[in-house]
Amino acid sequence: MSFYLLCKVLFSRKVVTGLLLLQLALTLALLLNSVLLMQQTNRQLKQPTGLDLHNTLLVQLKPTTSSLRVYPALEELFTRQLQAVQSIPGVLAAAYTNQSAILQGGNNGNIYDVEHQDRTNVPAVPMYYVSKDFFTVLNTSVLQGELPQNVVSLDDPGRPAVVLTKSLADKLFPDKSAVGQEVNRGRVAAVIDDFYGQRSAQNVMYNGIQVALPYTVDWGYSILVRTAPEQTEAVRQQLDQVIRKVEPNIEIFYIRNLAEQYQRLYRTEYGLAMLLGILSGLMLLVTMVSSYSSTHFHALKRQQEIGVKRALGASKNSILLELLSENWLCTAIGASIGVVLALLLNQALAQVITIPPLNWYLPLTTIVTLLLCVTVATWYPAAIATRVSPATATKAL
Amino acid sequence: MEQFLYYIKVSLVSIKRAPLPYALTIFILSVGLGVFFANATFYYQLNSDPLPAKSNKLFFPMMLITPYDCNDCRPPRVLSYANVQKLANSDIPSAKAAMYSADGYARLSSSQPPTPVVIRITQRDFFAMFDVPLLHGSFWADDGGRFEILLSRAMALKLFGRTDVVGEQMLLDDKHFSVIGVLNHWQMLPRLYDANGRNHLSPTEDIFLPLETGYDLHYLSKTNSQTFDSTDYRKLSTEGRTGALHQLQYWVQLDTETQQQAYRQFMLNLANDEKAAGRHPAPINNQLTAMRDIVSYFGDESGDIQAFALVTLLFLLVCLFNASHLSLNRYLSNQYEFSLRRALGASRAQLQLQMLADVLLMALFTIVGALLTGYVGIKLMNHLLPGNSLFSSWDIPLLLSLLTITLVCSYLVTLYPSLRASFGTLNQQLKE
Repeated sequence: MSFYLLCKVLFSRKVVTGLLLLQLALTLALLLNSVLLMQQTNRQLKQPTGLDLHNTLLVQLKPTTSSLRVYPALEELFTRQLQAVQSIPGVLAAAYTNQSAILQGGNNGNIYDVEHQDRTNVPAVPMYYVSKDFFTVLNTSVLQGELPQNVVSLDDPGRPAVVLTKSLADKLFPDKSAVGQEVNRGRVAAVIDDFYGQRSAQNVMYNGIQVALPYTVDWGYSILVRTAPEQTEAVRQQLDQVIRKVEPNIEIFYIRNLAEQYQRLYRTEYGLAMLLGILSGLMLLVTMVSSYSSTHFHALKRQQEIGVKRALGASKNSILLELLSENWLCTAIGASIGVVLALLLNQALAQVITIPPLNWYLPLTTIVTLLLCVTVATWYPAAIATRVSPATATKAL
Repeated sequence: MEQFLYYIKVSLVSIKRAPLPYALTIFILSVGLGVFFANATFYYQLNSDPLPAKSNKLFFPMMLITPYDCNDCRPPRVLSYANVQKLANSDIPSAKAAMYSADGYARLSSSQPPTPVVIRITQRDFFAMFDVPLLHGSFWADDGGRFEILLSRAMALKLFGRTDVVGEQMLLDDKHFSVIGVLNHWQMLPRLYDANGRNHLSPTEDIFLPLETGYDLHYLSKTNSQTFDSTDYRKLSTEGRTGALHQLQYWVQLDTETQQQAYRQFMLNLANDEKAAGRHPAPINNQLTAMRDIVSYFGDESGDIQAFALVTLLFLLVCLFNASHLSLNRYLSNQYEFSLRRALGASRAQLQLQMLADVLLMALFTIVGALLTGYVGIKLMNHLLPGNSLFSSWDIPLLLSLLTITLVCSYLVTLYPSLRASFGTLNQQLKE
């Protein structure tokens, strides 16, 4: 079996081979980019958040009557709700906050070292106004300083102290300790471990927290609940009833754990990756159908040729290998064109979505997958072709 | 007709003789077209023009009148109340309306459970500018503050159980309001008057409230709001009207090119006046964006749908190549029959008519398969990309386009194989 003869056989049917090559090339291009996108989404979903995603519950809610949305009624409502939630068995800590962690965007603003505003200004840093147990709920470690212990009103004279996450503290005060420094939101009291704040921020780990009553709950507020492991679901079942019992004039938008919240944050990427994954599966199926039909048809057309070869001493295995080799060669050529197409498609997709560039090992893996699928699809018709008896096949000669 | 039926009968006999290759061709074409249809539905609906007669006459003016030296030097995507007043101080537009949206709770009496509602807080011209249909009642007499609201048809039915509720009283966030109008069915998709932050993908609002009343009652925007000075956003009725609290969309209707030029000049003059008064520290950057361009101006096009559109188009190509390949094999298998008919006197034109009958049958089977695949694809996309779910409906022009595409694809898939079968050397073909 020579390479030259294989090529000659393949290109003796120009149109059919051309169509097959185009299909294979496009399939590989789509497959490669789909895998890239799926890998990227997988990486995003697995990046560290600094949070105990599965044992932290998030309740998003809002009072439905305007009288409950103003102080002091609102503060009293917070207290009652937190007391009730903390009394649920399995709850380790609960805190209110004007907004949750793990959001696309929300309440944010710029923050800077008041002495060096021009070179330290960081835009769109989430602003959290929380009760003191917020840090216990998130289970964050205090790296420097001391956490504020008293809730203050933002309307009181003197601004409440600020707690920064480590990444933000390092950005604002690269050469010195942040504790005791003045930022535009107040004096820095402590630096804590990083946690995932808002996706639209310059850095998702930049967060500024103040133990204070929220300015307003017109956009709703959150209660974050840390539960004992294995009891999260049981607590979740009770939360709605417990909160409504405290105050019925409340709309509860949702109760979910932070793992679900995180999944929802990347829902578009996840959805697109899933769609492309399904499409890749369909493409492989279509390629297999094509390879099957091509081998089946050409084996039928070449029955006499195969019969003669068998009569001249060719074994069934050598005929099988020859038919498979034709398909492998076709796949290899199609895949090579496919890599170039994949690069072009990657650039086109990068115009509308975020997609990483092609690496060197992914094309190899994808080509091997394609070869495997083609082999599986062509095995049966090729095996059938080898069963042609030399006497039957050459009867008409 | 008799001849046509004969062609159809011959096609059916040919299918029966080798059903597997035919079924595979139909399957592959159906999958390719179905996936393409599913995405095309979203792409078509998302890029449709909700107001074709007006989309090039409605403009969103934006200016960099902010109390800071700019960072990226693009004007804010939302305007402050004070800046809207300045922009509204012109008679050039045929109509103008500022607006924003907020959340609220509606009920008929305090003893009832509240219904969460989305409120569009706007001005009188909003309804004329965006062709909002009125079922009962009337719009506001002017842009002044008043405790009068308009309801969407669905909200009227939900709250009152009927639509003719003009003059009825209801509570909105514990304040008493009179219903002065009920809108007819209205779903502007995409909702381009509020395109910032992909809000154009959301449904239209339930309740419409005068802008001045919204500010008086301290309704904060539920979408994008920015404060560029020390304005306390809880004091919307006072500081919100004078400070740099930006939360408004503002639209003007400029029917002619002359009006558009004049309004651009008005904006430039305004910017120069503000600069002279020291209220415009940033470089002048005025934008007057037409409604049809607003989504791309904000950079909020659906990248997921665009990416998937590109991929599904390529997938359709793969399926077309594959179906052509299968079809070619099928026709080559039937080569002897074609040649025999030619030898018996059938002209090439008659063979092509036979091919057209094949195309019609194939298109019929394929359209059924493609619509089924498309339907499943849309359900799947709604599940995986729920943000676009409002844009998943089929309408008559879309279905007709899809039908045409199926016919064209079926024809393309059959064209080359049938030509090849009809144009070979007769002698040689009959010997094979």
